[in-house]
Amino acid sequence: MSYAYLFKYIIIGDTGVGKSCLLLQFTDKRFQPVHDLTIGVEFGARMITIDGKQIKLQIWDTAGQESFRSITRSYYRGAAGALLVYDITRRDTFNHLTTWLEDARQHSNSNMVIMLIGNKSDLEARRDVKKEEGEAFAREHGLIFMETSAKTAANVEEAFINTAKEIYQKIQDGVFDINNEANGIKIGPQHSPSPSLPSSSGGGAQGSGCC
Amino acid sequence: MDYFRKYLSTPQGTAGQPTGVETVERLVDRVQSSTLLDDRRDAVRALKAMSKKFRLEVGTQAMDVLVQTLETDRSDSEITGYALDALCNVLSNEPLDDDDESNMPANLPGDLGAQFTEIFTKKHENVSLLLSLLEEYDFHVRWPTVKLLTILLTNKGKDLQEAILVSPMGVSKLMDLLSDSREIIRNDALLLLTQLTKGNTNLQKIVAFENAFERLLDIVRDEGNSDGGIVVEDCLLLLTTLLKNNSSNQNFFRESSYIQRLTPYFDLDSQHTHSQAGWSAQKVTNLHLMLQLVRCLVSPNTPQQQVTACQRTMFQCGLLKQLCTILMASGVPADVLTETINTVAEVIRGNLQNQEYFASVMAPSNPPRPAIVVLLMSMVNEKQPFPLRCAVLYCFQSFLYKNEVGQSQIVTTLLPTSSDANQITAGQLLCGGLFSADSLSNWFAAVAMLHAIQDNGTQKEQLLRVQLATSIGSPPVSLLQQCCNILAQGGRFQTRVGLLQLLCAWMIDSPITVAHFLANTANVPYLITQVSASDSDENESIVQGLCAFLLGITVLYNDEQNETFNKSSLRQIIEKRIGLETFTEKLSQVPKNESYTKAAKKPHVSYKQSSEVTFDYEFTRIFKALEVDALDAVSTDAGRKENKAKLANLQQHELVVNQYKDIIQEQDQRLNDLQQQFLELQSKHSMSGEEIRQLKDQVQQLKDQNSLLKVQKGAQSNPAADARKDEEIRSLQDQLEKMRLDNANKDSAIEKLKTDVTVLEARVVNSSEEDKENIVPSESEILQNTISRLQSDLQELRTSAAEKDNEISRLSVQNNEAEGQIQSLKQRLESNAETQADPAQLAKLMEEKMTLQERVKKSNEENLKLLDKFNKMEEEKNSVVSEKEGVLEELDTLKKEQEDLLVLLADQDTKIANYKKLLKENNIPVEDDDDDEDDDLDDDLDDD
Ligand SMILES: Nc1nc2c(ncn2[C@@H]2O[C@H](COP(=O)(O)OP(=O)(O)OP(=O)(O)O)[C@@H](O)[C@H]2O)c(=O)[nH]1
Ligand SMILES: [Mg+2]
Repeated sequence: MSYAYLFKYIIIGDTGVGKSCLLLQFTDKRFQPVHDLTIGVEFGARMITIDGKQIKLQIWDTAGQESFRSITRSYYRGAAGALLVYDITRRDTFNHLTTWLEDARQHSNSNMVIMLIGNKSDLEARRDVKKEEGEAFAREHGLIFMETSAKTAANVEEAFINTAKEIYQKIQDGVFDINNEANGIKIGPQHSPSPSLPSSSGGGAQGSGCC
Repeated sequence: MDYFRKYLSTPQGTAGQPTGVETVERLVDRVQSSTLLDDRRDAVRALKAMSKKFRLEVGTQAMDVLVQTLETDRSDSEITGYALDALCNVLSNEPLDDDDESNMPANLPGDLGAQFTEIFTKKHENVSLLLSLLEEYDFHVRWPTVKLLTILLTNKGKDLQEAILVSPMGVSKLMDLLSDSREIIRNDALLLLTQLTKGNTNLQKIVAFENAFERLLDIVRDEGNSDGGIVVEDCLLLLTTLLKNNSSNQNFFRESSYIQRLTPYFDLDSQHTHSQAGWSAQKVTNLHLMLQLVRCLVSPNTPQQQVTACQRTMFQCGLLKQLCTILMASGVPADVLTETINTVAEVIRGNLQNQEYFASVMAPSNPPRPAIVVLLMSMVNEKQPFPLRCAVLYCFQSFLYKNEVGQSQIVTTLLPTSSDANQITAGQLLCGGLFSADSLSNWFAAVAMLHAIQDNGTQKEQLLRVQLATSIGSPPVSLLQQCCNILAQGGRFQTRVGLLQLLCAWMIDSPITVAHFLANTANVPYLITQVSASDSDENESIVQGLCAFLLGITVLYNDEQNETFNKSSLRQIIEKRIGLETFTEKLSQVPKNESYTKAAKKPHVSYKQSSEVTFDYEFTRIFKALEVDALDAVSTDAGRKENKAKLANLQQHELVVNQYKDIIQEQDQRLNDLQQQFLELQSKHSMSGEEIRQLKDQVQQLKDQNSLLKVQKGAQSNPAADARKDEEIRSLQDQLEKMRLDNANKDSAIEKLKTDVTVLEARVVNSSEEDKENIVPSESEILQNTISRLQSDLQELRTSAAEKDNEISRLSVQNNEAEGQIQSLKQRLESNAETQADPAQLAKLMEEKMTLQERVKKSNEENLKLLDKFNKMEEEKNSVVSEKEGVLEELDTLKKEQEDLLVLLADQDTKIANYKKLLKENNIPVEDDDDDEDDDLDDDLDDD
């Protein structure tokens, strides 16, 4: 499936905040109620459309556990976007944001777009961090902000797509050097002649669905 | 290091030759102490030269100094290269290619490389150092660095993988090597990356994240795909390492549309029209690896979801089509063809669209035949290579797996209605195979047929309709009965197990087949005879076990229509003629067999040799599912309970073992969890420690601030403030006092230097006079001694001059500080004066300040004078040096007159040993501790 751009994302944040669930909801439209601890890093992908252009998102979901930190750090450089996730029902995950941000800023390229996500917004009754606090933190550090629920899928699409929009805008503004792949951006294959297909299988629908 | 000591205590070399230990020691010393880069470079070069022959010595004594060289002399690529080469030699376990292996110490431990590697990697910063050296572009640095890292990975893979994982950007630096324009570096980098990622999922993922797939695929393409050289092979090996058993990477590979890029690999037509020289050994290897690359994306042990998605893509991008073209092409080497068949098998397995495509492929024969038919012809042809026949069976099974349409297509070709005498069909080939004289063909055909009816009741019934004309005149026999007849004739082992497995699969879930079977009254007695026979060998016990299983199935799926052989009568016969105990035991023999366990592992038909062929994968699944039911079925109601107990007993063992396995696994898991927790706690602990420390600091700061505030508050009109000022002044005075003392010391030191210089001068004069007179060899020794003394004196002079330098700068710093303090004091006094208005005190302070300033000024002057003196000293020193040079020149002339000595002194690189020996030849007695001085002398001579 051809695309105009390819963006690399990483998802970071404390363990158990719902990073893997966000990815699963985005790629497979499913929710996983049990905590399946991520070991190291897992990969996922999906196609989206922005401004009438097909954009492929390649997403690396990292382990939040402290012991994997040295592994996950290897993924910062080379990513164009990062979703920094905390859990609105656990203040400690919010308190750790500064550390995460420092780590990200230190190891990533300076143009990386960071989206701050307060996840589990469906658990309003157990809320421990006010939405305003998230907004304030984002404002203070120049991040985009959104509250999501990987369970109800509320704002999940938007979180991934708005990050892509921001990157796309940066490309339009000439901020990103798209020829340097270390920035986590790749231009799609220029309409090359399609390879010969056996029998009848045509190009197929190029919808937004994942593969 | 004690470990090595016993190897080091080799006896002294003959004729006073220095041992390796001594030479290495001296060289190490020189690298450490020499201030001249050229000198150090020579020494490191010498260490490199020795590092093969005296591997142990260099490794134990010089490793640190070599590493240190990498740090300090990094800007000089030559010395860095030597140090790296030396480390390579020391750490590598590769046998030397030198021919002077007879010189090698024979008693070295075999895993020396591993031991040294352990020592080297214990310091993680050593690995980081190597990684940072990769940034140097110079070939002499980058190449040996790559080699060294590869050696380390080969010796201690796990340790190094961990070290590289934690070093920031480590993998990035390694990946950057792939863009190096120098082929040799790029190629070695490929090997390095393969070693790096072997068995480490995390590193595999990081390397993939760093765009490894794209770069490797680019290289393969640019090198001409399968026509490329060993680089292509290495790229493919790395690709396979990154993808095998790593579903995250497989997903990434597919999502990035890289499968599409594999298609051209199998486009053999366009790749070489020069078909003659087409199949070099390299090309065969490359294609094998390309096929394996495809297989690791779709092999049955990868997650089903992943396999299905990859299979779909492989169809869409034409990869399957290309593979099928190779299948039908001529001139393809048999092993490539075999692997292609295996690959096609896995690309189509369980995927209806791909299976249908495969069924539609026609061979370009005359007349055109379906590819399936052509392949089956090879399977039942005993002249074909065994692995090829296995591959065909695997492919055929994969074609039929979860494919009812395909099953019906195959069975239909066996039925009388569709028989077309001129056309060879799959059915004909299978029947032919089933009853051929080749027992392996029997087995292949029987198992192939099993897959044509597996899980498909309709086809089982259809197969009952197949009638065979055996001999002219006699009535046709059903396929089922013919199988039984051959079985009863007691053919070869593989024939019988093949047929028995087919019969079992056929009758399962199919009472009508069982009824057909029981209709022939000879069949049950045959089975009874088999099961009740005493087992003679392993093979027979398998046959007996399978017969028992078949008996059980006839009871289990009995439709009770046959009066002689209904359920209860069969049970009675079994109990009477065989006995439940024997029956159970025979049945339980089957899964205990090694060939059963092996076949049960994976669908791939992977026998090493034809004699191993026994069980089919699908059959083992059937057996596992129905073993208990079959046993239950033959037990009489009374015996059922007892039987269950027995079975339980039999299975208990396995169960217990499994339980223990589970427990162990659980414990393993728990252990891991606990370790995880422990790590977390540890980090939390250290974090809390850090926090506590910070808090303590804060408390201290607050306390300080508090007391400062208190003081300030009190200072408004408080004698305490004055006291503090007094104190400050006193300390300043103390400092001044100390400076003065320092100055005095310096003076005396300078004085001493001066006298030293004078003495030196005198000596120089003396020695030059002596030199002129002495032309006899024995007296040249005296000359040498004098000169070396002179030199050491000079050295002393240099160091004390340097010390002076230091002292002077320290003094001036102190001076500055003092000035600063005075300045701030002044300011404070002024500000205090406003609020405090204590003129007397102020005046006194001012006065003191003045005196202090005065003193400082004086000390400054003194310093200047000192500097002056120092400069003079420098001059004197220089003149001494030049005088020395004069002396040395004279010595040179002297040397020219004395040939032996000339050779001795002129060659700086000649070993000191030689030097000593030569001197001895000249009857000059030499003491060992003079060596270093001799060395220095040589250096200086060459410097001139
Ligand atoms: N109610 C609710 N639960 C959620 C939501 N997102 C995640 N969870 C739950 O939170 C737990 C952790 O989710 P994961 O996505 O596995 O957490 P993670 O951030 O990937 O954790 P690590 O892999 O250890 O870094 C799971 O039990 C999820 O079911 C959400 O939006 N709402
Ligand atoms: Mg996770």
